Amino acid sequence: MVSFAQSPCVPADREHDMAEIVLPVIREALDACGLTRDDIDFFASGSHDFYEGRTFSYIESLDAVGAWPPISESHVEMDAAWAFAEAWAWLQLGEGQTAMVYGIGRSSLAADLDQILPAQLDPYLLAPLRPHRDALAGLQARALIDAGLLTERQLAEIVSRYKDVAVDKLMDAPHVAAPLRAHDIAPPGDAAAVIVLAAGDTARRLTAHPAWVRGLDHRMETHYPGVRDLTCSPSTRRAGERAAELAGFATADVQVAELHTEYSYQEPLLVAELGLKNAEVNPSGGPLAGWPATATGLIRIGEAARRIMDGTTGRALAHATNGPALQHNLVCLLAAQPRDPGQPRDPGQPRDAAQPPEAAQPREPEQPREPEQPRDAGQPREPGQPCDAAQPRDAAQPRDTAQPPEAAQARDAAPARDAAPARDAGEAR
Amino acid sequence: MTLPEPVETTSSPLYMNYTYVAGTGRSVFLRGLNERRLLARHCPGCSLVYAPAPEFCSRCLRPVGPPFELPGTGEVSTFCVVNFPFPGQVYEPPYVVAHIMLDGAHNRLMHLVREVAPEEVTIGLRVEPVWVDDDELDTSTTSIRYFRPIGRPTRDVAAVPYAQTPIGPADA
Ligand SMILES: [Zn+2]
Repeated sequence: MVSFAQSPCVPADREHDMAEIVLPVIREALDACGLTRDDIDFFASGSHDFYEGRTFSYIESLDAVGAWPPISESHVEMDAAWAFAEAWAWLQLGEGQTAMVYGIGRSSLAADLDQILPAQLDPYLLAPLRPHRDALAGLQARALIDAGLLTERQLAEIVSRYKDVAVDKLMDAPHVAAPLRAHDIAPPGDAAAVIVLAAGDTARRLTAHPAWVRGLDHRMETHYPGVRDLTCSPSTRRAGERAAELAGFATADVQVAELHTEYSYQEPLLVAELGLKNAEVNPSGGPLAGWPATATGLIRIGEAARRIMDGTTGRALAHATNGPALQHNLVCLLAAQPRDPGQPRDPGQPRDAAQPPEAAQPREPEQPREPEQPRDAGQPREPGQPCDAAQPRDAAQPRDTAQPPEAAQARDAAPARDAAPARDAGEAR
Repeated sequence: MTLPEPVETTSSPLYMNYTYVAGTGRSVFLRGLNERRLLARHCPGCSLVYAPAPEFCSRCLRPVGPPFELPGTGEVSTFCVVNFPFPGQVYEPPYVVAHIMLDGAHNRLMHLVREVAPEEVTIGLRVEPVWVDDDELDTSTTSIRYFRPIGRPTRDVAAVPYAQTPIGPADA
């Protein structure tokens, strides 16, 4: 990553159309790394028609890119963090040297998000019920509290950290979707964000301090929330473990983590699943300071990278989510240094164009995946523990390949969120 | 084996209300329509004249110049005849929908062409706008009721292929 820019998240931009919102942000991002749009080999963007109220709405934003003569371009109908994943993969495949990713999120255009958000649910069993916008988040928060993993007071403490309001005062506020209060919910807004990516030597030429994407993975859970254990996020954990394998360092070793928390309760859950230890969480203010819909996740990647590009952080993590109650999660690991070419690499990892060719490492045979087991309701789980941590492990069952035995044991013993276990799976390889 | 009778319908009506943001560039054009004026803007970078105009040129990304009024006349650059009925239709088919190149502009405006039999419409047909009454004027393309012919075709259609008009192929 060589450049990041974003527009301020405003509650409702009634002046600018999509192209007008994103054009100044594109200019700022390009100027910062000394490129023009003609230098960009690939464009990827993310937005969602449900927020815009018309089909193929993102086409309007292409006027800000200048799609004439025709360009190489792609769009995801979801958070733009997934457009980032596509652009990164495109560069890893050696398709080009530079890519621009932009996200536009306008949470303000829908007159009532309660009309809109049920449309993302399955149309047979859930959408006809029209759960309001925060209902599924309320179910997840309640499940976490009921499991003894969280208290309402802890939610207020999290919010107090961001908003500088006394915890007792926050506790006095009325519920919106109990146990959630208005301040537990990210406020809708409109914004755009732009990231410029460059491969290997091109990145070194463009900036003295690029933020290197060391690992990225995303995992999805089932569409129907009723079959999920809402007290955990195995998709986040697996994405973090795979990203760590690719990165060569553990999620526990980052100094900064930007988490896509659209609700306060999601922060301790994500911190636990990612095994964060001493990381500063959401120094940008996070989504509780502003939720520009499908730009929110991309902004997490940008904010994490910004702290590497300005030299304040060596390793950072960005998380993005999409869908209800953390359905789909992406983890991106960033560092001030590129991966050491001498370090053994997972042969499944695409080769960095800048790295010299090397002999492929023999790959460990793929082990069968451990099925997610329903949690024994009678067995309490320590607060902050990932949901499968409290389960007795069947000795006959093959372990998750990413979990060395020591790490698994440390996790079972870890008492609380602050002492979350090391996730050094990548380095163990 | 007989399969169970499948559920064929479930009612789940969705109502979604949105605010559309016209944007600064588009707003200039829409306000002109409210005053029976077709406003164009010139790009200082590539000399394209847009009507309707964005706030910046989508080719060279330069901000476009101040708005100026076009005479309103133009010609049909392509058209189709709508022959089928559909819900919400305003006019009875068959009727003509056309791309109209306004005189002085380099991009096309889509609108209806009426007061002419569909079989008599041709590419190159010269047209002029028919505006609505004062009390119906709005910041909308519906301020123009439709375009109508002002004469016979004045250009040899074969001599001006679509791709050679100012917004032409990429290598032009
Ligand atoms: Zn131009």
